[in-house]
Amino acid sequence: MKDYWVLMGSFGSGKSELAINMALQARKSGPCTLVDLDVINAYFRSSERAADLEAAGVELISPPFAMDKIEILALSPRVYSVFTPGDGTVIFDIGGDDIGTVALGQYKPNFANIPPERLHVLFIVNPLRPMAANVPSALAVLGNLQIAGRMEVTGIVNNGNLAGMTDFSHLVMGYDLVKGLSEQTGIPVWGTVGTQNVLDEFRKYAQEHDLDDAYIGRYQPIEVMMHRSWDKYLSEGL
Amino acid sequence: MALKLMKGCEAISEAAIQAGCRYFFGYPITPQNDVPEYMSRRLPEVGGCFLQAESELAAINMVYGAGGAGARAMTSSSSPGISLKQEGISTIAAAEIPAVIVNMMRGGPGLGNIQASQGDYFQAVKGGGHGDYHAVVYAPSSIQETCDMMQRAFDTADTYRTPVIILADGLIGQMMEPVELKENPNPTMPDKPWAATGYDPKGTKPRAVLNSLYIETEDLNTLIDRLHARYEVIKQKEVLVECYNTEGAEIVLCAYGTVARVCKAAVNELNEKGIKVGLVRPITLWPFPTEAVHDAVAQDSVKGVLTVEMSDGQLLEDIRLAVNGVKPVEFMGKAGSIMPTTEGIIERIMKMREA
Repeated sequence: MKDYWVLMGSFGSGKSELAINMALQARKSGPCTLVDLDVINAYFRSSERAADLEAAGVELISPPFAMDKIEILALSPRVYSVFTPGDGTVIFDIGGDDIGTVALGQYKPNFANIPPERLHVLFIVNPLRPMAANVPSALAVLGNLQIAGRMEVTGIVNNGNLAGMTDFSHLVMGYDLVKGLSEQTGIPVWGTVGTQNVLDEFRKYAQEHDLDDAYIGRYQPIEVMMHRSWDKYLSEGL
Repeated sequence: MALKLMKGCEAISEAAIQAGCRYFFGYPITPQNDVPEYMSRRLPEVGGCFLQAESELAAINMVYGAGGAGARAMTSSSSPGISLKQEGISTIAAAEIPAVIVNMMRGGPGLGNIQASQGDYFQAVKGGGHGDYHAVVYAPSSIQETCDMMQRAFDTADTYRTPVIILADGLIGQMMEPVELKENPNPTMPDKPWAATGYDPKGTKPRAVLNSLYIETEDLNTLIDRLHARYEVIKQKEVLVECYNTEGAEIVLCAYGTVARVCKAAVNELNEKGIKVGLVRPITLWPFPTEAVHDAVAQDSVKGVLTVEMSDGQLLEDIRLAVNGVKPVEFMGKAGSIMPTTEGIIERIMKMREA
């Protein structure tokens, strides 16, 4: 039986970063397919890291011509292949906002056959980004995403970060945001995302300030794959 | 104000709003679509108007109208779309209307590609549209600089009643960086007695006429002379340039925009090894920092100049004019949206030193 993870959120909330990291981690224990369903972004998308993913043995399904210097609002027919019976992990990386999430809606009949315990729909938030920086605006985004994607979110993810300048305080800001969201919607907080050292600092802060574990969820360490330093970005190309 | 993580297109839009821009007219094209996307959400919140025009030509002429009525208006596009706007930009210049035009350059000519490029240098700096006019051209190299530039862009447009172009590239538009946006809830704007805001027959204000058609040769010449005089003032007062570690440099790099960032990385790496290399980065491409370039390369220490660009030798021409033959100028650049690398630049500099 496959496990399905669907990652949605507003533009630049960190979906691709988390998707790639989850794919690489999942591949260590079984087959893994990453579906890049982003028909919005021309650059900075998970298909950009195709070489890293393929080298690790992750199957990547991209829209036709993605990263081929043109953009076509079309999805690969291979997407349907992930709904066939089997084992492993399938991760959907969705384009930003409700506009990008529309692409997900067409798979509703396929997702309908998946037992609820195997389907995880995550809403990723970063309070340092505009448009979904506070509870009311993030709630509006969440509502629109669920309508556009025709799916209900099952977990909220705290991805508070400021790219290369991230420290634990950004996760503290994210904690307040996901706590507010969770209280208003009843949707549990799935986890808190960061590089290992930022997570360690946040864990220390959380213990000292009695933050509620219910609004922290799992500590999900990631390595920075997308938001890389300028030099690394240049040396490895667009 | 605290730092935010913003995409270049979002940041430039918000900075425009903070600078008093309340009118945006545009038409979609990659890689600047996040500008209209952001404006369409934000402008209604501040009492402004976002309008997706039926074409680029319509959009630039709406900017003409809003700017002519005294409002702060802007449009944005990417290379092929900017080509379509040229007729309007020429008309705006002739009618002496302030306007801000953002170009997130992509590869050309023709439809080219959708990756970052610097191929529109000539178009922006040398005219683009027809006739004797200039647009002030700013070339930011980071998202923070783009934001800081927007206030200046609108102020310059108003002060000189001229079109102002922000010549960025797809990378600036699409990358995300932490940025600090200055909040300015009540932007001040200069008085615009020339604006066409309605005629009162009983009032004392003369009829405001905005026009670019001057049938009489002498009348047209009068306009051109007036513009020329204004351009001379702009050349005196509005040049912006960054000279980075140029003092005593052996090799001087010349680059603008994102490419200048790559060059700066190369300069830093070589400086750490004790190799004296500097960078001249024009921030205004028109008016061009001719003097600063000349002074930097005319030093006795300088053996040669290397112009680096993501186009096929466009900035190169202005650098050669500024250098005026006092030192050899070499070119390093690729079109087709191929970004020069730090390693590649260092390798080239080392070869120049051996020569």
